[in-house]
Amino acid sequence: MEDCIKKEHVFNHPISKVWDAISKEEEISSWFIKADFKAQKGYQYTFTASEEKGCISITGEIKEADPYTLVYTWVVENTDTVTTVKWELIEQGDSTKLILEHSGISAYPGDSAVAMFNSFSGGWADCISELEKFLN
Amino acid sequence: MSERTNRIFKAIADPTRREIFHALILASVALPITQIASNFEISRQGVTKHIKTLEEAGLVEIHTQGRERFCKANAEPLTQINHWLQFYAQFWDQSLVKLGKHLDKKA
Repeated sequence: MEDCIKKEHVFNHPISKVWDAISKEEEISSWFIKADFKAQKGYQYTFTASEEKGCISITGEIKEADPYTLVYTWVVENTDTVTTVKWELIEQGDSTKLILEHSGISAYPGDSAVAMFNSFSGGWADCISELEKFLN
Repeated sequence: MSERTNRIFKAIADPTRREIFHALILASVALPITQIASNFEISRQGVTKHIKTLEEAGLVEIHTQGRERFCKANAEPLTQINHWLQFYAQFWDQSLVKLGKHLDKKA
């Protein structure tokens, strides 16, 4: 059973710029999700998106934050299942290849999977559309 | 999410159950419980219990023939779990598009 989501994407931007976008609090807050985040090993981060919309929060710990690999755990509000998100950047001339891996997803046990799925199916869709509006 | 999906998650959360299920998928025919149990180091009762949990999730079908009970794997319920994985796959796709736009704006 596939337990890891893997995404690869090449950005036509230098590696340091992409690294800043995924590791700096103000940039994460701008394109991804409102963040309390420091790219320091051991830092307990929190991602929150417009609470008044009923959006869920995500918390976790930074496991690795050396350029250009960023690893943190990913725990969705109201669940206790720890999954892991890894961002890896590879320099390709003037471009940057991102390899994103989200692993441990099948470890969601029954109850927390139910809680998570329920919060996601409603709240998360709102978060994404909010974020889209902001970026446009 | 339905009670059924809940049972599927529960069934695949245990490594021994995943192994039993995997063995049945590879066999692709119905196997008697005694034969399945002989491949595992846990008791036959233990294996039977795991198979029961798999059956409750719809991942295994049991039918009795003579004195022996035969088990066959059914992978169909896993599509619900797949749905779950697809959700995240889509979430990351959308996030990467946003990251790309963010980088393009920030010349």
